[in-house]
Amino acid sequence: MMDMKRILVAEDQTDIRDLLVLNLRNAGYEVTDVANGLAALASETARSNDLLVLDLMMPGMDGLDLCKTLRARGCSTPILMLTAKSTELDRVLGLELGADDYLTKPFSLAELLARVKALLRRSELLQASQINAQTQASSLRNGDLEILPVKRLVQVQGKSMDFTALEFDLLLHFAQHPGHVFSRAQLLNAVWGYTHDGYEHTVTTHINRLRAKLETDPLKPELILTVRGAGYKMREAPR
Amino acid sequence: MSVRFKIALTIFLTGLLTAAGVIATVLFAFERFEHEATYYRASAFLERVVARHSDMLAMQERFQDEFSGFLGNLVLFEPDTQLYLLDAQGTVVASSGEVQLPKGFKVALGPVMDAASAEPMPYVLGDDPERMDASAVIAARPLRRAVILNDPAVAGYLYLVCHKAILPQGRLAALQSTFSQPALILILVVCGLTTLLAAWVTAAVTRPLARLTTAVATVSRHGLEDFSTAPGAAQPETLDLPESSARDEFGQLNNGIRAMLNTLRTQWRTLRRLDHFRREGVSNLSHDLRSPLTATTACLETLEGRWVGDASRAADRQLVEVALRNTHNAARLVQSLGDLAQLDEPEFKLRSEVMDVSELLDDVVLRFTERAARQGVHIEAAAPKAPAPLAAVDVELFERAIANLVDNALKFCPAGASITLDAVPTSGKVLVTVSDTGPGIPAADLPHLFDRFYQSRQSAAPATGEGGKGLGLAIVKRIVELHDGEVQVSSVPGTGTRVTLTLPGAAA
Repeated sequence: MMDMKRILVAEDQTDIRDLLVLNLRNAGYEVTDVANGLAALASETARSNDLLVLDLMMPGMDGLDLCKTLRARGCSTPILMLTAKSTELDRVLGLELGADDYLTKPFSLAELLARVKALLRRSELLQASQINAQTQASSLRNGDLEILPVKRLVQVQGKSMDFTALEFDLLLHFAQHPGHVFSRAQLLNAVWGYTHDGYEHTVTTHINRLRAKLETDPLKPELILTVRGAGYKMREAPR
Repeated sequence: MSVRFKIALTIFLTGLLTAAGVIATVLFAFERFEHEATYYRASAFLERVVARHSDMLAMQERFQDEFSGFLGNLVLFEPDTQLYLLDAQGTVVASSGEVQLPKGFKVALGPVMDAASAEPMPYVLGDDPERMDASAVIAARPLRRAVILNDPAVAGYLYLVCHKAILPQGRLAALQSTFSQPALILILVVCGLTTLLAAWVTAAVTRPLARLTTAVATVSRHGLEDFSTAPGAAQPETLDLPESSARDEFGQLNNGIRAMLNTLRTQWRTLRRLDHFRREGVSNLSHDLRSPLTATTACLETLEGRWVGDASRAADRQLVEVALRNTHNAARLVQSLGDLAQLDEPEFKLRSEVMDVSELLDDVVLRFTERAARQGVHIEAAAPKAPAPLAAVDVELFERAIANLVDNALKFCPAGASITLDAVPTSGKVLVTVSDTGPGIPAADLPHLFDRFYQSRQSAAPATGEGGKGLGLAIVKRIVELHDGEVQVSSVPGTGTRVTLTLPGAAA
């Protein structure tokens, strides 16, 4: 098994950690497990993993700090955050501080495995697109908007803007298919990588965030348009 | 209008009325005095005339032509006075004036008889033949034909009328003299001073009242919170009424209210502390239950996964499935409890953004289409409206409210029913409706539908194993309240249910 994906699980509660390890191993991943944030940091530094599953509340260094530290060190390994709090604040922080996805406890193993799979596939796709980048156009343009997929950079009228990973992927997906109408289900599959089942991560929320950042008047969108009863599309680039 | 102003006004008006009364009395007394003086003079004059010319009736009959001149001569030196000779019925027979009276002209006989009677009168007002529109002071004396014979029959009257020509000037003079009276000026001055004094006294009386009013208004505006500790308050608005040292009713009222406020504040703090503990307790409990539930769920799922396809474990798998389903229900309930406790926090803030609510409905419909199809229920969002229903909503929370409503409708709807979501902008509001053609809700349950843990006895959820009993709709209510909206529900048993969320609309 040359291509076995490596996953690091950091969770302070032994029972849950053992179950995660057991099931991830059963699903065919190579799993390392640690009980706190500092150990996770050491382990991740020692060898690179393909995915990190972090509990938000851990003794020593919690998931958020770990996330921040890793991202600050330029580590781009996808991170799945586990949290017992369902307060929105940690949700947002989790995503805005560099986590790629999160699950609130109690979650089902099936859900966890689906997300792990989706995250790994996304990161694979990303790497593939980076490898292909030399052969592809290095940037996508649509009016004032310019996207540099390799650098994961978005510029509007030459000014850089910040996007979370999901927002960027959603925008990129639209930009790669201007004029194409996507239903919400198609977007979920293409961008999130799984059909989602919870309350969070709604397509609408993210479309709204994109509009808030990109549109002059988010209520009268010109870039990302709603096609009633069908879904959303990005306008075709003006010639 | 403040009490102070009312009292001052009352006293001022009373003073003015008093002054007006005095003036009226003076004028009236003057007029009466004038009438009496005139009457007295006229009576005395007539007395003298009658004593001198006792047989005036006979004279008139004899010298008809000259008689008027004779009467005129009698009043030559009495200005504004006219003499008339009347017969017994009051008909004017002769007159001293130049005005030609119609033949047979009569004056009212009553005043004539009053004036002619032996009883002394203060004065008598009667007809003035020359000016019948106004009465004048009159005097009269009875005339008898044969004074020698002792025949008392009255055969006529000598009738005297005093014109009022002099009166207007007299009244004006009286008025002027009244106004120049030091007494009247005194009245006005006293009236003004009293008003000022009253204003001052009422001010002193109402000042403690004003303080109380301010304190009470502060309480009703801000509640019983203690502002001295409130952050950002440059001038802390204190609710502490200073203790009043006054022994009067106002002092007592002040201290009574002060004591009441203190009691209320203590109770309020206790209540808040308890409520905080309750919320925190629920929140912590919910939080602490998550890890064991996660572990249990994961265990059961692992077991189930292991036994998949093992025929000898079929019975065990069934047991595990039951355990798993119940654990899921418990997990949902725990999550709902925790969420509700969090939504109840006073510090909880919405992350609102203005959006087209109908887009959000589309999203919810999309999410439930599959489940609805499994149940044979049709679900759709109504056709888009123009203008778009715009509202400032916390997308995540509001979507959750709608999803809970749809979830609840799906729980009760039989196959073949349909669920419709709609958002309509109306006069500054947005009405979001979730209607279904399900079995409906008994009227008795409607008022409690959104209460926490309320579950109708008649229409208990079918045993589909959906958790979050009794909390889903409470969460809806709380979310809508956080959006400054309202929840209404109408239902016809057997026909369907319609839940309406009213949100404040947002300007485009």
